[in-house]
Amino acid sequence: MDIATMIFNGISTSSILLLTALGLAITFGLMRVINMAHGEFIMIGAYTTYLVQEVFSKNLPESVFDLYYIISLFMSFIVAFFIGVVLERLVISRLYGREIDSLLATWGVSLVLQQAARSIFGAQPVNVKAPGFLQGSIGGTSSFSYVRLFIIIVMVICLTGIWVLMYRTDFGAKMRATMQNRSMAQCLGINTKIMDCITFGIGSGLAGIAGCSISLLFSIDSTLGTKYIVDTFMVVVLGGVGKLIGTFTGAGIIGLSNVTLETLTSASIAKFLVLILVIIFLQWKPQGLFAIKSRSLDE
Amino acid sequence: MKSKLLKKLALLAAGTIMAGSMTACGGNSATNEGGEASADGETVKVGLLHSLSGTMAISETSVRDAELLAIDEINAAGGVLGKKIEPIEEDGASEPSKFAEKAQKLIQDDEVAAIFGCWTSASRKAVKPVVEGNNALLWYPVQYEGMESSPNIMYMGAAPNQQAVPAIEYCANDMGYKTFYLLGSDYVFPQTANMIAKAQIGALGLETVAEQYVPMGHTDFQTIIADIKSKQPDVVINTLNGDSNVAFFKQLADAGVTSNDVMTMSFSIAEEEVNSIGADLLDGHLVAWNYYMTTDTPENEKFTAAYKAKFGDDRVTSDPVEAAYIGVYLWKAACEKAGSFDVDAVKAAAGGTEFQAPEGKVAVNAENQHISKTVRIGKISADGTINEVKATDSPVEPDPYLTTYDWAVDAGLKPLE
Amino acid sequence: MSFIKKNSKNIVFTIIVILLALVPLFTDIGLLKSSSIVRYGRYITFAIVAIGLDMIWGYTGILSLGHGIYFCLGGYGMAMYLLMQKTGGKITDFMQRGGFTDLPWFWKPFLNLPLSLILIVIVPSLLAMIIGYFTFKNRVRGVYFSIISQALTWAMYTLFNGLQPYTNGTNGITGIDTIIGSYYDQTNIRILFYAALTALVLVYALSTFLLGTKFGKILIAIRDGENRTYFSGYCVSKFKTVVYVLSALFAAVAGAIYVNLNNSISTSEMTITFSVSMVIWVAVGGRGSLIGAVIGALLVSACEFSVSSAFPDIWQYIIGIFFTVVILFFRRGIVGFVSDIFEKVTVKKNKEGSVA
Repeated sequence: MDIATMIFNGISTSSILLLTALGLAITFGLMRVINMAHGEFIMIGAYTTYLVQEVFSKNLPESVFDLYYIISLFMSFIVAFFIGVVLERLVISRLYGREIDSLLATWGVSLVLQQAARSIFGAQPVNVKAPGFLQGSIGGTSSFSYVRLFIIIVMVICLTGIWVLMYRTDFGAKMRATMQNRSMAQCLGINTKIMDCITFGIGSGLAGIAGCSISLLFSIDSTLGTKYIVDTFMVVVLGGVGKLIGTFTGAGIIGLSNVTLETLTSASIAKFLVLILVIIFLQWKPQGLFAIKSRSLDE
Repeated sequence: MKSKLLKKLALLAAGTIMAGSMTACGGNSATNEGGEASADGETVKVGLLHSLSGTMAISETSVRDAELLAIDEINAAGGVLGKKIEPIEEDGASEPSKFAEKAQKLIQDDEVAAIFGCWTSASRKAVKPVVEGNNALLWYPVQYEGMESSPNIMYMGAAPNQQAVPAIEYCANDMGYKTFYLLGSDYVFPQTANMIAKAQIGALGLETVAEQYVPMGHTDFQTIIADIKSKQPDVVINTLNGDSNVAFFKQLADAGVTSNDVMTMSFSIAEEEVNSIGADLLDGHLVAWNYYMTTDTPENEKFTAAYKAKFGDDRVTSDPVEAAYIGVYLWKAACEKAGSFDVDAVKAAAGGTEFQAPEGKVAVNAENQHISKTVRIGKISADGTINEVKATDSPVEPDPYLTTYDWAVDAGLKPLE
Repeated sequence: MSFIKKNSKNIVFTIIVILLALVPLFTDIGLLKSSSIVRYGRYITFAIVAIGLDMIWGYTGILSLGHGIYFCLGGYGMAMYLLMQKTGGKITDFMQRGGFTDLPWFWKPFLNLPLSLILIVIVPSLLAMIIGYFTFKNRVRGVYFSIISQALTWAMYTLFNGLQPYTNGTNGITGIDTIIGSYYDQTNIRILFYAALTALVLVYALSTFLLGTKFGKILIAIRDGENRTYFSGYCVSKFKTVVYVLSALFAAVAGAIYVNLNNSISTSEMTITFSVSMVIWVAVGGRGSLIGAVIGALLVSACEFSVSSAFPDIWQYIIGIFFTVVILFFRRGIVGFVSDIFEKVTVKKNKEGSVA
């Protein structure tokens, strides 16, 4: 395999990892909620894409069919956002400050969501057809497919969007204030309940977008989300909780090393080695690559 | 504090009521069924043991549906030996230990006359000692790696000589392929199928260019696809399983590889998988099975119509679905031949039992409990159907240990005892 | 009255053990179905795991999502010995498929019973010691530890599936007898059942004893204020490592007994799902009380079995909602809830008594 293909594959794997982990970087990194149902929000995004496609192919003329994918990118965010908000109100809001409990409770939620997917869509995987403008690839022997390029673009847009939202807007400042010091934020007149709710919604919505993006490459079924739970948590922890740049770097390192090791060995061994290497690295730097510096003892 | 406690009490009460109603449901069915041996009373109980949750649910639910359809049909026609069949469903949850546990429950507690179930080799291997130890019967509906013939399992799917071996013969002789790329999920079926394939390809004087395995549930195939592109094999022998298959073909098409560039011959892609991958991506690729939804027999016409009528117009039948359906009918035929539901009598009577199945006539081989099946090589077309391109004239006798093939005997493929 | 109150937990445990001991009798008189003995036997091994997990989570505050590894290492060790007994020391079909003509070196010790038993105990303990030593020394704490242990489980699961010629991959090790003979001999099963029950009593007694000593008090101190304990001059990481190894050991012993009662072991016992269910047993029963762990393991397993039989299509809804509700509203689990009521009632009685 030539180097160009390998680098492209590495970037592609990393961008998928980053996109799937971005929502978690917010819910876990900022809010300290261990959302084990994060993978299921990716699944929700993928199923939303399927639903939008069905609506388009049944009700609208062929000529506008390709638009479905653009619409479903937004729809998957909206649907996942609202389900996230409902989950936050019903479950998560009762568990702030109880990290371990949030892990267990959302585990139950993930069982329910998976079963719901089976009940609604059936156990068999559903299919999403790539829109015309994403079929094909550039280049000859080392071809770069449009879908994978598109995922990289979506990743860049989401990452930039989140960065601007968090660090360049008033809303972002309030959001970070709430997450860093709840009572102080309340004193300053921020409605922390609404901030929690919206922040969790945004995290879930990002997972929805990830689901929509990867639906063109992977199988859409009820177990879709379970495959991401370990990888996404490792990305966030490796990068350092609460830092976007950390999540970005973490995804890059895991993705690139995965592709390199897979080329050298086999898929099973590569997966094993990458996880072990990350675990060993975390022994050395338990706070990850980019730790928030703090003088607090219990952070 | 007090109101909090009250709230908890109320919650607990609600929970208890829920649990109570559950056990009541369970209890009712138990009293209806319980007590008497399987063949007494109005009904005869059978167990349906498949994964309805977990990773294997994507494949196994439709197999369970086919079994329910056969049971419904038989009951509508008067049942078996004058008794209606009463199915007891259990969820194996894609975990071998759960399969064994539930099989034990079905045999010992429910005293079922037969179990129809399992899909993966892991679940079959876990249930095998249970049915052998309790002298019960398992009717297994899926094509598998062979090298096994338990007296307590009836194998309704293809043995290697009814699927894998003729498929490679077809690639070599009819298509003239010279180089083979073996790709599979990392578990026993692909490993064994490829072990056989390598021996066969070697005996044919052809070349295996690579043998690759990915973990179960693996979804990122770009490295593999890049490898396939650089090695340029004539054909990829694909033994991937479940959602890996969907990801592989989506990404293969996405990388711009069509069946004109690299042909694939798949052993686990049936009509349902075609639907979930997208038929246009699979256009022209080859598969090997014993049955397709398009198989042209009057029995199949009836079968597909009944299946769609019961489960919805968008549902499709496939080889494992049909094999599961055959299983129930062959069990019925064996019971009627034996004149009882007794496992030993049914086992003794099963040999030679015939059934005019949707795939054509099948018969149970008395020696190895597999069935004779017609082998069909199929080509996937863009409309989602699989069309037969070559078929054997008559059903092929099962040979799970490949003892009738010289190259297999030379390679010493028969497992150790 | 005060005796009952002081020893209420041990009394409940005794009652549970007596009830469990009567399970074979119940099946004889038809109260329970005949497959119950072996099933409850397996649940007992789960209870042993749960006690170990409660020691590190409920008492020390370390949540491990990877105890399936130790359970499986114990289980595979036992299964390897049993398989070697069955094949008489010859290589197996999966080794043959992998191209071996000789037994792989690490299978050889399992030809010998005492050596196998030692390895069943040593290997998981050693792994736990290595993991524990480094992670605790490097002060990996709280959720970070949970996430790392979960990743480790996933890594081991991938490895075991990937090394088919050595482990038989997803199929695992099947077709074995028990350590005392055929799995289909009811007497053997009953002997194994009581052996498991004995192990449960021993593990419970040992744990109760340990928690009553200074060692136990320090564990609780670590849970409630790790830094304060540290500043009081205790080497926190050593205490954590010791209790972590102990709980891994319990899991390994449970796994070894489980294989005898389950007749097989496969990598599905090494999944994250299984490791999380172990934690859920403890959470439902009540963390921070050994009796809670025992009750949780028994009750959740039994409920899962009956609910999945009664509603094969939708049982995951019921289980999922049940877990979430318990975690949300009954933080201290069943035991915590019951003792709350108990206290409420007795306090009321006392008050009435003082008025009268």
